[in-house]
Amino acid sequence: MMRKTANIVLLLVAVAFCYGLQMSKPHYGDLIGPIPARGKMGETIVGRNFEARAEKVAFARNLKVDRFGETKILTTGGVWAVVTVEFAARAQSTSVAVASWRGPTGLAYDQTERMSFADGLLPVAIDPGLPKKARLVFELRPDEASNATLLISEKLMSALDSQAEISLGPVATASDGLPASTVDTLDMSQPI
Amino acid sequence: MFENAGSRLKAWLVAGIGTAAALALAGVLGAFGARHEPMQLLAPTGRIETGQWLLRPLRAYTAEGENLYGAPLKPGARALVLEVEMTNRTAKSSKDYFDVLQATVDPSSKPFIVLTRDSTLSPELHPGMPERMAYIWELPGGSAPPASLDLTVIRKTYKQRDNLYGLPGWFNPAPAGTLTLPVGSGPDTADIQP
Repeated sequence: MMRKTANIVLLLVAVAFCYGLQMSKPHYGDLIGPIPARGKMGETIVGRNFEARAEKVAFARNLKVDRFGETKILTTGGVWAVVTVEFAARAQSTSVAVASWRGPTGLAYDQTERMSFADGLLPVAIDPGLPKKARLVFELRPDEASNATLLISEKLMSALDSQAEISLGPVATASDGLPASTVDTLDMSQPI
Repeated sequence: MFENAGSRLKAWLVAGIGTAAALALAGVLGAFGARHEPMQLLAPTGRIETGQWLLRPLRAYTAEGENLYGAPLKPGARALVLEVEMTNRTAKSSKDYFDVLQATVDPSSKPFIVLTRDSTLSPELHPGMPERMAYIWELPGGSAPPASLDLTVIRKTYKQRDNLYGLPGWFNPAPAGTLTLPVGSGPDTADIQP
């Protein structure tokens, strides 16, 4: 009788243990996901092939761009965020192509595809010893501007490769819901 | 011999009753009903949820292929334009909207999908930001402009791990319902909802 009870208890423990193992198994997408290299704004984040340093973030209601000599104003339903980042290659020439803005609630905003013609955007080709600056342009909801994280990787499927994760810190909000430092029009034709 | 035939009959009866019971149970649980469900009729003035997208149809019209949001149409061609407000309901920027609306105009022609704000051809739409998009179908030459536009709305389902890669994504496109919009003439057609 005693032995039988002990067996049943052992079986139940084994079932619970196996269930726990199954539940806590990491998701395959996480196992082969990018490897984060974390840092703050102004710090140099060192990845496998590239280094990145976020210099400043600017917010704007509209962007002014030059396309084939004609000026165009890009409007948005939210707010434009323009991050200036300095990139450097480590051991060999490479290029950095993908960036996204992860807001405090986890929504991920990819770089805008509405100004593929402007200068100084990604993808940027970088060579060792020759640091280069680039602008990352995002279109986002105003409530995703504060405490955001900038994710930068060399290519879209950066499985098991490094991804720079730069936390951008809090942003003061004005009474209209936009970040307090929002300018009306940001001229993208200015040199970086 | 006789007894043997009796037991065989009994076996046949039992098997037959079992099969009939299984079919009846499957019928009760709705295994045969799924195919015959009629397509849901969606209201054109309202919001339509398709899993990834929230759609708000605004207007449909036909126009000559000039200045139609910069869509690369053939010169002189007529086009059917559907303007719809789309909101990305997912947590990531996405452009998975090519199959969300299927028109019965000419199923072989793929529409140009344009952001009306600045005529960008099929840009990514960002989470929680409504944008007015135009679906532009080129009408075959010489055909009369249709009086109404029948649309099928396609929805997809989220799977946390797909069967091939074990990665999350949106799969299994299936029709969610149909929708009929009046077709106006010319780009100054009024919106059907504010």
